[in-house]
Formats: sequence, C-alpha cells, structure tokens
Amino acid sequence: MVSTLVKTNIKDWLLETIKPEEFSEKNLKVAGILFEALVPQNKIAEVAREYFSQGYFLESITAVDFSECLEIVYHFNQWGPAKRSCIKILAPKNASGAPIATAPSITSIYKAADWFEREIFDMFGVVFQGHPHLKRILLPESSTIHPLLKSFKGEPKGSDVEQCLKLLKEDAETFEITYPQSIKQQNNHYYLNMGPQHPSTHGVLRLLLHLDGERVLDAEPVIGYSHRHHEKMMEIQNYLACWPNFGRLDYVGAMSYNFGYALLIEKAMGVVPPPRVEYIRVLTTELNRIASHLLWMGTFLLDLGGFTPFFYCFDDREKVLDILEAATGERLTYDYFRFGGVDHDIPQEMVPAIKKFIPAFKERLRDYDKLVTKNVIFEHRTKGLGLLSKENALAYGVTGPALRGSGIAMDLRRDEPYSIYPELDFNIPTRTDGDVYSRYVVRVKEMEESLKIIAQIIDKIPAGDFKSGKLPKNVPKGEYYSSVESTRGSFGIYLVSDGTLNPYRIRLRTPSFSNLNAIIDMLPGCLISDVIAVLGSTDIVLPEIDR
Amino acid sequence: MTLTGNFILDQTLTIILYGTIVVLFVSVNALFLVWAERKISARIQLRQGPLHVGFQGALQTIADAIKLISKELIWPRESDKFVFWLAPILVFAPVLSAFIIIPLSQHFVIRDLNVGFLFVFSLTNISFIGIFIAGWSSNSKYALLGSMRAVAQNISYEIPLLLSTMGIVMAAGSLRLTDIVAYQNKYWFICTQFPAFLIFITAALAEANRAPFDIPEAESELVAGFHTEYSGMRFALFFLGEYTAIFISSAIGASLFLGGWHGPFLPGPVWLLLKTYLLVFIVMWIRWTFPRLRSDQLMALAWKVLIPFAMFNILVTAILIYYQKFFI
Repeated sequence: MVSTLVKTNIKDWLLETIKPEEFSEKNLKVAGILFEALVPQNKIAEVAREYFSQGYFLESITAVDFSECLEIVYHFNQWGPAKRSCIKILAPKNASGAPIATAPSITSIYKAADWFEREIFDMFGVVFQGHPHLKRILLPESSTIHPLLKSFKGEPKGSDVEQCLKLLKEDAETFEITYPQSIKQQNNHYYLNMGPQHPSTHGVLRLLLHLDGERVLDAEPVIGYSHRHHEKMMEIQNYLACWPNFGRLDYVGAMSYNFGYALLIEKAMGVVPPPRVEYIRVLTTELNRIASHLLWMGTFLLDLGGFTPFFYCFDDREKVLDILEAATGERLTYDYFRFGGVDHDIPQEMVPAIKKFIPAFKERLRDYDKLVTKNVIFEHRTKGLGLLSKENALAYGVTGPALRGSGIAMDLRRDEPYSIYPELDFNIPTRTDGDVYSRYVVRVKEMEESLKIIAQIIDKIPAGDFKSGKLPKNVPKGEYYSSVESTRGSFGIYLVSDGTLNPYRIRLRTPSFSNLNAIIDMLPGCLISDVIAVLGSTDIVLPEIDR
Repeated sequence: MTLTGNFILDQTLTIILYGTIVVLFVSVNALFLVWAERKISARIQLRQGPLHVGFQGALQTIADAIKLISKELIWPRESDKFVFWLAPILVFAPVLSAFIIIPLSQHFVIRDLNVGFLFVFSLTNISFIGIFIAGWSSNSKYALLGSMRAVAQNISYEIPLLLSTMGIVMAAGSLRLTDIVAYQNKYWFICTQFPAFLIFITAALAEANRAPFDIPEAESELVAGFHTEYSGMRFALFFLGEYTAIFISSAIGASLFLGGWHGPFLPGPVWLLLKTYLLVFIVMWIRWTFPRLRSDQLMALAWKVLIPFAMFNILVTAILIYYQKFFI
C-alpha cells in the first residue's frame, strides 16, 4: 500500500506546499520521530488529509501548555517500518478567558481525532472548531476544571468527595432529562446503559446502547470512571517517582509499560543497559504477555458463556505469575524496571521453572485448540462478527492484535526494533478476516510466539551486572517519543523535558484508547450478545484507557 | 387409599401426605443437585469445589439456603408489587406439581393420569408465564430482555420437545407414563428412537434454560436476566424451580427412553433415580463444556434443525409401525 518513496514524499510535500514555520530533522533512535514541523493553524487540515491519503494513521494528538500559548502536537505513523513524524500547531491563549484557546478540528479526516480532541478539550479547554460533539471525555461533563493547564494547582482534598457526589448527581439528572424525549420520538427504540457496573465490561466502562429490540442501532462508549490522572501526577513527581504509575496503567500487562518508560529515559540520557538486563527485560515482558493474553482468553470465553476455559486459563496464568513473582516480588502491578537496569536480579530457580513451564503450556495450547478454537458454537458466535476493515483501522489508529486480525502485520518489536528483539526469531501472526474470530486466533498464536522467544533466550542469558552505574536525576532538555509493542498495541510516551527534575509534560498514548474508539463502527447491527463478544475481542483494560 | 373411611377427608389427607412427601423430596433433591453441580463443575474446572461445610462440603448448600432465607427481600421502587411477588411462586409451584405423575415403579405413582407426560409439559409452560411476568414486573431493561428471550425460547422448543416424544407414543399406543414404561420391558426406546432421544435432550436443555441455551439469564450479557431484581428467598425459588425442572425433564427422559423402573437386581425406584441422575449429570456436563448460543442461532436450531428432524422421525416411525402391523 505504501511505497518506500513515501517518507521523502511527505517531507518534500510539507516543505514545498505548506512551508512550515519551523522544521527540524530528528534522529528516530533518540527522539523517536523523523522530523517535526510547526505549521500554521489553518493548514493542519490540509496536512492531515495528505498524511491520510499516504496511509499514515494518527497515533496521538496532545497539547502542551506554555505560558503564552498551547502547542498542539500531532504524531503520525505508518504501518510497517516506523516513520513517525510530528506536526505542531500553536493555539494562542485567549486573553479574555473562555474559551481558553481554539484550534481547527480534523475529525472529518481522522475518526481517531474525535476522542483525542475531546480529551484535549477536557484537559486544556481548547475548543476545536468543527468537532461534531465536543464534550468532556474523562472528567464528568459538569466539571469546570482543566487540570493539565499549568495554572491548575488542584483543589483541597476534603472538598473532592462532595464535589464528586454533586457532579455525579448532576450527570444522572442531565441523562434523565436528555434521553426520555428521544425515546418518545422513536417509540420502538430505547436506550440501555450497559455498565458501569456490568459483569462483562471488564472494568468500569459504560456503553450507551441505542437499541431496537435486541439490535444495536448506535453505541457510544462512555469512559473516565477510573480516571486517576497519571499525566498530572507525573508532572509533579521526579522521574524516578513515576515508576509506580506505569505499573498501574494496564495492570494486566504492566511489564511492557515499564519497558516503554525505561526505553524513553534511556534514549534521552544516552544510557545503554548491560546485556543481562536486556535479556531479563525481554524474558519478563514476554512472560507477562502470555499472562495477559491468558487472562483475556479466559474472560473473553466467559463473556461467550463458556465458564470452564476461564479456570484453565487462570490455572496457567497462575504458573506464569508464580515465576514472575519470584523475579519481581509482584504479581500484578509490576514496578520492576529501572533506568539502565532492573530492580534486582532474577533468582536461580527461575530458569528451571520456566523450562518446566514451556512444554506444559504447549500441551495446554493444543487443548485450547481442540476445545475452543474448533468448537462449532464458538465459531458460529465469532466468525464474521465485529468486522474491522483496513480503512477503519487506519482512520481510528487501531494497533496491536486487533489490527493484526485485520491482516496488517504491524508489530513494533519488528518495525521499530528495540532491546534484543532484532536478534530473535519470531513471527507476527496475522489473519485477514478482521472479525472477532481472527482477533482470537491472532492472540492465541501470539502466545505461541512469545513462548518461542522465551525458549530462545532462556539458555542464553549472559552473566553480568543487572544495572548500570549512577545516573543523573534529570533528563536533558528536549522532546522525546518512545514506543513499544505492549500486549494491547503500540504504547507511546511523549516527553517534554525542560531539564529540571520533573517532567514538564508526559503524554501517554495508550493503545486501548484508540482500539475502544473503533468499536463505535463495529457495533451497529449487532445483537446484545454480540456487543459483549465484540467488546471482549478488543481486549480493553479500562485503567489504561482512563489513565 | 382409605385412611378414615370418609371420602373427602381421605382425599384431603392424601393430598397433604403426598404434598409433604413431594415438597420434602424436592427440597432435599435440589440441595443435592446444587451440591452435585458444584462438585461436578469443580472437577471439570480443575477445582475442588466446596470442602469446608460438612463432608466434602455437603452441607454448603444448606448454609447457602440459610443465608438466602435470612436476606432482605428487596422491592424495586418501580416494580409492580403484586405481580413481582407472584412470579417466583408461579415459576416454582407448577414444576412441583409435575412430580405427581412420575412412576417410580409399576404401582408406585401418585396419580396415573391418562394424558401422561403432556400434563408435565403443560405445567412447565405455566412456569414460563411466571418467568415472563417476573421480567415484566421488575421494570428493568435487563429483566425484560431476559423474559422476552425466555418466552421466545419456550415457544420454539416446546414443539420439538413434544414432537420428539410422538414416536414413542405411537409405538406404545398410550400417553400414560406407566404404559410407556411397561412397554419397554423387552428393549428401551433409546434403541429404536435414538434421534428422538437427542432431540429430546437438546429441547429439554433449552426448556430448562440450561447452558448452552441459557440465554434468558445469560449472566455475561443480561447481568442475571429475568431474575436480576430478585433477592433472598424469591431468587432461591427461581433457582429451586430451575433445578427441579431439570430433574423432572430427566425423570421423564429416563421413563420415556431409558426404560424407567426396568433393570436387573435393584428395585424399580432405585433404577429410575439412577437413570434420572445419569441424565442430570449429562446435562451438567454439557453446561460446563460449551459456550452459549446467540438468541437467533437458538431459534434457527429449533425451527430449521430440530423440528424437521422430529417430523421426519415421526414419519419413519409411522411407516415402520404400519408395515409391522400389516405383516404380522
């Protein structure tokens, strides 16, 4: 779809047609991007259209608050070898107050921009002109604060509870006022609030379903119930104190999020970790990936009404968690990696334990294949359901197994190689159908591939140090982007450092956020039973979406 | 039966006596079935199941029952109070009364009705009205969806369930269960009517809302389906009703296809119970093995597969019976 000429094309096109106000080439290995360009506000739609036509997907939109103006930062990337580029526009702050700033919307070009722009509106108060339904996304709709502005210092703690209760009540009331009228207008249709307390929404997600009988006409995910504001938290902490936050984003597959942060700071500081560290990191990350996929598989089949696989998967997952516990001391919210190393060395008994686990788990995978993958009911329930076309995957910026289920072999472990992944031999499983079944098969195959990686490196862990020497406490001034293939897709961290002890701004690009956004187009036409299957197949973890 | 000589008094006393026996049996049986289900599912799922209350957790269900009795009965604010109260009783009572026609042996049957097992099926249908009004009166969308599914499912599966038994009725020449079982003293109907047996088991699973046909209460979709709003003993009645319905279906299945009380060495009632529990075990085994069907697939299975096959079975049986009579 995209030729090798594209990279030069988009850069030349930018320089010739748009004539950016500022332009600078960057090193992909350090800054994580090829180039960055500051374009005038009114040209951003044109730039986005060109990027879209050349097959780039929108990885993230975020904003950074500088005293005079807000900088809105767009990251575009491509399927295949990483060609990330960064486009910025300036949104000067409004002297009179409300709205704080304005910027043009690109929702008509990228569907993914919908939620990203809503988030910026929520956090910074930037009004995007042309956005169809600009409202808050992570905070309650009635809240009045824009917490990521530097001027926001937080409120006294005592008032928070009362404030929250008041806001929740107001939300409930506005819902009651808004929706009954529309129900009366179309008397066969009704709304169903699936969640936030529901057995199958995998956390506190609310799906607002517009139904005709059991058939879904329209669906809107409502998120933000487990929003803890990691980004603001990290702005007021030093770099080392940010580690626990990365264990609590995606608590199921926390190791890859550790990996992302370690890579980011190491790239910025120019630290190369010792070889033993690289092996330990890949080993624990892949084990964690298996554990995460097992949890997904169990709960997904539970959603489909198969109760027994859940216990088999958890039995296997328990074994992985025991191994990881021996290494890290934690079973869920891992906080194991450090800058240039890991917290402590792996114990002696871990290697034999893993060697015992590999054949046992291979046996189990064969069982799963016989019992689940070839089950007639399972096939009927999942094949041809929840279709994600390549066009939609591009427009929503879907990554990870969900994208690979649609036939795109994109995996940052190969496309933007980090650590020792280039030396390892593993495949990237893909399926072309783009339905729930393909996403299931891709994840099962990924477990096999992870097992293959573990088997390759388990005997080759070199002796040596498990951490590098003393590091400075601050990161050199500049902007950095680092991206890893997490269990759920590509996880990116965008860091703006001003050279002090705290990050100036950290933006977390979490894969499930975009993946969940894409189900808006998968759900219409489904039955309620299918909603659960489609939602389960996207493998979301709510704390990672809400951050 | 004469106890006092007075006809009306006799009848009343008989009803009370049988009623007590049936209620006692149903309660103990349901407790046993719940425990068995927990143990069986645990063994299927690499678990131990209940262990701590009593031997192998045998008293766990009693502990749970006490818990349920002591719980508060919650009235949802928007519910229709009288109907909401009535629904669990309407679900449980008909299933209970279905016990009176199960023949434990040639003479050991409470009421030997000539309409036979049709009586059971008509009674179990009443319990579906209970399920429907439970969902309707709760005034909750999940409950309503669950009860809508239940009604659709019941109407669809009643037909193959009855059609699958028609071959047996034609062969035995009677609807009376004692006659049908007595007819099986040479061979069991499962030998001649095996396709009908498969259809019967499938339809009975669906009638009892058991997985993989548990769409009316599909807990991962509809929270708890039609009984979402019920708590305490009212919920327990639904639960009791479900387990009793499974037992009744299995007992009918054992009588129709597995030769009822027939069997060597052991007395008749023991054989019937053994066969019934074997069918109950199969039902549980199926539940813990398969994922759930979708509601439209469920309908397709009933109307496009089970009913045509059941019809075909009737046709073949009729032809065979005709020629048998013709030649003999």
